[in-house]
Amino acid sequence: MSLTCQHITKAYGGREVLRDISLTLEPGRIYGLIGRNGAGKTTLLSILTAQNPATGGTVSLDGQPVWENRKSLEKLCFSRELTANAESGLAAMKVKEYLRIASIYYPGWDKEMEKRLVELFQLNTKKKLAKLSKGMLSMVTIIVAMCSKAPYTILDEPVAGLDVVAREQFYKLLLEEYTETGRTFVVSTHIIEEASDILEEVIVLHEGKLLLMEETQALLDRVRHVSGKAEEVDAATAGLELHHTETVGRSKGVTVFLQPGQSVDETRDVSVQPVSLQRAFVALCGEEERHEA
Amino acid sequence: MNEHLTDQKSIYLQIGEMIETDILRGILLEEEQAPSTNELAKLYTINPATAAKGINLLVDRGILYKRRGIGMFVAPGAREKILANRRAGFAEKHIAPLLAEAKSLGIRREELLTMIGETEL
Repeated sequence: MSLTCQHITKAYGGREVLRDISLTLEPGRIYGLIGRNGAGKTTLLSILTAQNPATGGTVSLDGQPVWENRKSLEKLCFSRELTANAESGLAAMKVKEYLRIASIYYPGWDKEMEKRLVELFQLNTKKKLAKLSKGMLSMVTIIVAMCSKAPYTILDEPVAGLDVVAREQFYKLLLEEYTETGRTFVVSTHIIEEASDILEEVIVLHEGKLLLMEETQALLDRVRHVSGKAEEVDAATAGLELHHTETVGRSKGVTVFLQPGQSVDETRDVSVQPVSLQRAFVALCGEEERHEA
Repeated sequence: MNEHLTDQKSIYLQIGEMIETDILRGILLEEEQAPSTNELAKLYTINPATAAKGINLLVDRGILYKRRGIGMFVAPGAREKILANRRAGFAEKHIAPLLAEAKSLGIRREELLTMIGETEL
């Protein structure tokens, strides 16, 4: 069983937002989808769950196309960011009504869990969605994602607006549900530092393209920050894939992405440090400002 | 087991080290059950696969062993083994950086030995 997309492209008008994306989501994993604002994350997630038609390419679950396929769709949950405004038509809806609709839509809905999570987040279900804060709306999307019990569950920015305690509760909840059921989760997030330890694999989207998809640990094992006197750094990293070079006077720092068999020459007088997922991401995707500067 | 994780080292290595440190300190005793992958995942909010990698590292070293259907246990002689491993790695892990720093500060060998001699153990 796997969720696969092949050669997905998406254009709005003439503007291409996704370019030739092919990837496979294996069952029983937690994936992280990271990318800058406008990288195409939400568009990709909505196409994977057939909430949005692709301009080109195919999406299939267990070999069956997902588009207008009820059997496949029942196994997919895309809990997108809620906006309770006039256009979305959700403003006047109460939390409990929204949850009831979700419970009808998802055949595996877990009513007990819904009760437990409403209590955990201390959510007032009699409130109208329009009256909820950003963080409370995130709680509603988390509850829908968790209680759907869908084998493939996608959460788009689930921690946006949540305070640090609620974020921690969410991460623990996600791990608990994952270890108990082995459901597959895809989580898109900008708070990379916090989420990196729970993500088994990361998918990096940049300007509509799939930049990389790799096991988090394997990625971190091959990224290093090298710093020291510029000549020493250059000598230690000669021939390697370099990103995000920064210089201050004679001193230089650079992020290195090693390919199998490559290494930093540590006999040089340089400091070699491991890099967090967030820093690796910034090194990969934060370069355009540097060119402009 | 309740130390905080740092981002200066792979998580699975830190998990392995923390369990070993607990065994050294007598927090975990030989033939006692070690924390499960899921417990570790929840405690540290890490992916269970990462926790499992840390545990498996200790299984490979003969520090933990698996009792089928129950879980991981501390192997007899684990404490001695950890002590021996850490002693073997002591020079590389602690003395090498000490010497490197001494060298860059221009501290001579005799000075360094005097300093060590004067420091209480």
